[in-house]
Amino acid sequence: MRYMEISKLQRLLDLLRQQGELHSPVLGDDGVTRFELLPPGKLPDLAAIRTQLPPKKYLLHPQETILTYQADAGYRVPLATVPAMILFGLHPCDLAGISYLDRIFLGDEPDQLYLSRRAALTLIGVSCTPDEFCSCRLYPSPLEAWYDLFFQQSVDGIAVSIGSPRGAELMKILDDVMEERELLLPEDTRCFFGRKIPLPPESELDQGLPEWQVLAGHCIGCGACSVCCPTCSCFDVLEFGGLDGSSAERLRRWDNCLFRSHAEVAGGMSFQKDRAQRFRYRYRHKYRGFGQVKGVPGCTGCGRCRAFCPAGLDLRALAGKLEGDAS
Amino acid sequence: MKRLRVAITGLTSCSGCQLALLNCEAELPQLLELVDFRFFPMACSPATLESDYDAALVEGCLSMPHEQELLLSLRKRSRYLVAVGTCAAWGGVAALKNDQDREQLRQQVYGTDSTAALETFSPLPLNAVVQVDATVTGCPPEKEELIGLLTGLLKGSLPTLISYPVCTECRMKETLCLLTERSALCLGPLTLGGCGALCPALGVPCEGCRGPVPEANLAEAMEIYLQKGYAQEAACERLRRFCPGWRA
Ligand code: SF4
Ligand code: SF4
Ligand code: SF4
Ligand code: SF4
Repeated sequence: MRYMEISKLQRLLDLLRQQGELHSPVLGDDGVTRFELLPPGKLPDLAAIRTQLPPKKYLLHPQETILTYQADAGYRVPLATVPAMILFGLHPCDLAGISYLDRIFLGDEPDQLYLSRRAALTLIGVSCTPDEFCSCRLYPSPLEAWYDLFFQQSVDGIAVSIGSPRGAELMKILDDVMEERELLLPEDTRCFFGRKIPLPPESELDQGLPEWQVLAGHCIGCGACSVCCPTCSCFDVLEFGGLDGSSAERLRRWDNCLFRSHAEVAGGMSFQKDRAQRFRYRYRHKYRGFGQVKGVPGCTGCGRCRAFCPAGLDLRALAGKLEGDAS
Repeated sequence: MKRLRVAITGLTSCSGCQLALLNCEAELPQLLELVDFRFFPMACSPATLESDYDAALVEGCLSMPHEQELLLSLRKRSRYLVAVGTCAAWGGVAALKNDQDREQLRQQVYGTDSTAALETFSPLPLNAVVQVDATVTGCPPEKEELIGLLTGLLKGSLPTLISYPVCTECRMKETLCLLTERSALCLGPLTLGGCGALCPALGVPCEGCRGPVPEANLAEAMEIYLQKGYAQEAACERLRRFCPGWRA
């Protein structure tokens, strides 16, 4: 199998840079690790378990214009050429997160903005070691995570798997730093939510479960859990008139199903009046899926919602109880 | 196109919100094509009230009888009345001492032998006295919010109040969380967003200047602050700086 000694990492990064903008986890001066442009000479933060925002930020911007209106031209999708970009250092959960978003945004009616950005992305995964927040070992369904290349870290280097024709092409360019080795990699024992599973009956998510109230009582509604989740992709839509008096812009902005406004409709009515109801709704969407992702659990186990929740909320116990625990 | 006929005024306030609008220097020429500022004493004279306005934008809280009169007459003359800024929306810094005796405060500031009648009452937000059709909060509001308010009104629509806290925008910016990582007394979880988490993005905890978020979970927030070493009273005092209504 193709193998690269770790001493050749800089050279590999330089080769990748020739193929497009290279982004990877970078440790900031403030101690936050973020996916961002990796400047030449700087090493990616491969030790970090998770970046604060997942890579979804490249595909769905926190706030973006989705339509422009001009009196003479009507509505237009503001499509721009997206430069080729390589995301290096994606952990399996983040790859699974992108696969999940692909299902939603590239399904029946592909989202043009998403498609244009996704097509420009090359995904290079890197193996990792889960920490106490991760739940990728918890659930009994195997990972579905699409990638172009995947780098399995071992003692002194990385073993490469090819996941797509694009990955195979890229390997030709990277051949300089690769060698052939006979390796027996340990079997990847992680289990992820990410493949269709038989759904437990709906009634199990009984409104009367005391957990919903307990969660709602502790949640301060900060929004971190969904902002930082690699699969949360609900958005709000807003429209603003331009200063010329005739043009307009339509925006979408990340939303959270725990916010009051998320289920509010005209006249101040709401489908989910209190936070306990909203927790049940969030759970249902996240672990059971509906719409295009019905039956596809949307938790990839990345642990961000737990790591960044100021109230320390953790849905693992409840998920274990309701979905069945593999451990 | 028919220009929007607007009245803008300030009650008890620092005029910062009106200034925020005047600071939109790049946009003002275009804005003037769309908006007819009929009554804007801070920016143009003469300023006499006319019989009707499409919208009145009012900054500041109410603390004097003549302000109440002005507010009522603006309400009568305007299709929409918009509370602009934290003082108009929640009372703001002028209401900081609302829990203390008014007469004592007056004496502290103006002396005991002051004979001049200073008629004031405990500062109130606008909606304590008139119907408010829309609110743009902030101390001061963001420039984009003020321009969006006017271009929206031009199309006959009112701005919707953001219902999520500063934290959401802070996280969207991928900022270091000062509360969880630095144990700072950050009021972000309890404060209405819209400022783009201006302060935490610059490394300064949120002071709560935009007022309370709907469904604020004060009890749990206090629990978290306590764990970080802040007494309830200290946190509440901080919260009341911009909105006297906060009580734990
Ligand atoms: S629900 Fe939590 S652990 Fe699961 S993918 Fe989202 S942020 Fe990660
Ligand atoms: S991160 Fe925690 S406190 Fe914040 S909205 Fe999510 S569950 Fe609530
Ligand atoms: S720094 Fe403050 S505003 Fe930002 S996420 Fe933390 S608590 Fe919220
Ligand atoms: S971060 Fe807080 S204090 Fe700073 S502008 Fe926003 S609401 Fe005001």
